[in-house]
Amino acid sequence: MKALTWTGVNQLSVEDVAEPTLLNGHDVIVKVRRTTTCGSDLHLLSGYIPFMRAGDVIGHEFMGEIVEVGPAVRHRAVGDRVVVSSFVACGSCWYCAQELYSLCDNANPNPGITEGLWGQAIGGCLGYSHAVGGYAGSHAEYIRVPYGDGSTFVVPDGVSDDRALFASDAAPTAFTGVDLAGVRPGDTVAVWGAGGVGQLAARISELVGAERVVVIDRLPDRLQQVREVIGAETIDYTSTDVAAELRELTGGRGPDVCIEAVGMEAHSPGPQGVYDQVKQQLRLQTDRPTAVREAIMSCRKGGSVFVLGVFAEMVDKFPLGALMNKSLRFGGAQVHGPRYIPRILEHMAAGALVTEHLATHVMPLDEAPHGYELFKEKQDGCVRAVFTPNG
Amino acid sequence: MATSSLLSRISEVASSAGGALLGRAQSLRLPGVGTASAKDSPEVAARRWRAVTVLTDRIGTGPDLPAPLAAFGDRIEVRTTPAPAGKGTELAARFTAPADATDERVGKLREALRQAKQLIETGEVLRIEPQPEGRRPETPQGRVLEGAAARAPKEGVL
Repeated sequence: MKALTWTGVNQLSVEDVAEPTLLNGHDVIVKVRRTTTCGSDLHLLSGYIPFMRAGDVIGHEFMGEIVEVGPAVRHRAVGDRVVVSSFVACGSCWYCAQELYSLCDNANPNPGITEGLWGQAIGGCLGYSHAVGGYAGSHAEYIRVPYGDGSTFVVPDGVSDDRALFASDAAPTAFTGVDLAGVRPGDTVAVWGAGGVGQLAARISELVGAERVVVIDRLPDRLQQVREVIGAETIDYTSTDVAAELRELTGGRGPDVCIEAVGMEAHSPGPQGVYDQVKQQLRLQTDRPTAVREAIMSCRKGGSVFVLGVFAEMVDKFPLGALMNKSLRFGGAQVHGPRYIPRILEHMAAGALVTEHLATHVMPLDEAPHGYELFKEKQDGCVRAVFTPNG
Repeated sequence: MATSSLLSRISEVASSAGGALLGRAQSLRLPGVGTASAKDSPEVAARRWRAVTVLTDRIGTGPDLPAPLAAFGDRIEVRTTPAPAGKGTELAARFTAPADATDERVGKLREALRQAKQLIETGEVLRIEPQPEGRRPETPQGRVLEGAAARAPKEGVL
């Protein structure tokens, strides 16, 4: 079958590879109908997560049709049209019982790597490096999904493939942030980043009752989508002082909740951006936390700051004094997919959560390297490139 | 030595170095880096209980010990303790004779504890190979990563 493989830093290739097989009793094999680029893939592509081996199949946000089930699978059948949670979770350990699925104890076959990095191993993620399991990813005609009963979700009739696709990772990641940050009715929420996750964090904040939502980015096409599709306000950080804008919008208080959906390759037009770029390139810090700093400084006293963007390890110039003295609540998480995907599919079926506009570039898998180029360089208004491995 | 033999040898060395690197990286204590994974001195490490918490009310001991741990026979001692607040049962093991607790054997014990937990909680040990993969050129850095990944089930702070 065809699959998109990482072949080196900033190098991708479509190759012929073996088809996946059932390896465990709880596995299912999914025929991939839609699979999309994610901003976090760019960290793999750029070499900032140094646990990729040439030949690794990437991709973790997808939907498709079940074509084979293992003997221990009880609740899924061949022919089910499903969306799949990007993070792998066993559903049986204490963390899964608490619905903290990305922290699953049993789903990362390589725990020694992340235990060394972070003190504990998190769960596994499909197509996202050997640090989180080394699983083959979804930019392929077929994919093996472990723990099929708990990791796949039947898409309701009436929800199109193009909409359901984003229930795999972008929407549940956004929901994770909104929920765990504690967004409440009446809140003002600021979201850094107008990519797929940022836009959906804004929309889900509205769905849970936020009174005012503001999204910060620099890309005009994305900010336009935020205004026209999501219905939130926008700030272009290249043309104004973000913290000052937010103070003015909130009567001097600052947002109640600040959600960072940017990650380790944040951009900044000022000297701070140059500083972070130089330190990252010299490997004196692994991540550029520009948006996190701004969120902490902008948040109202006693507010909540939540990190959804992917970070690898160490950052410099972290405003711990502001965090402590302003009594901020601070958190972060990878996506707890199974906790939110059923609710997301309900919102999608009701028309309250639309996502099709994110798929700005739909193309065959053969064109995936070009799709990633458009996505990485933000060319032609690309928000997400979506691949159709089976036509 | 033929070129192919030399390249093969370089690959083997790189893979071995990757596994060793992962183990060594978790022994480093650099200011501000990796302190969460710093290891004890060999004497202390040999006597430390290695433990996982399993979401179950009871774990069999003696002849009912989970197979991955039973394979160690009387070379290890095992204890089980109820975990607080409904977190299950703490399953701990260590080598009976400290001299047995070499890095390699402790690695195998870590892997066995993780597998025992998986068997009890999910009914099977998660497999990852074989799976789809593209061409994997024989590069030193690639082999280093392969060695680290191969060693990863036996490494970590457990």
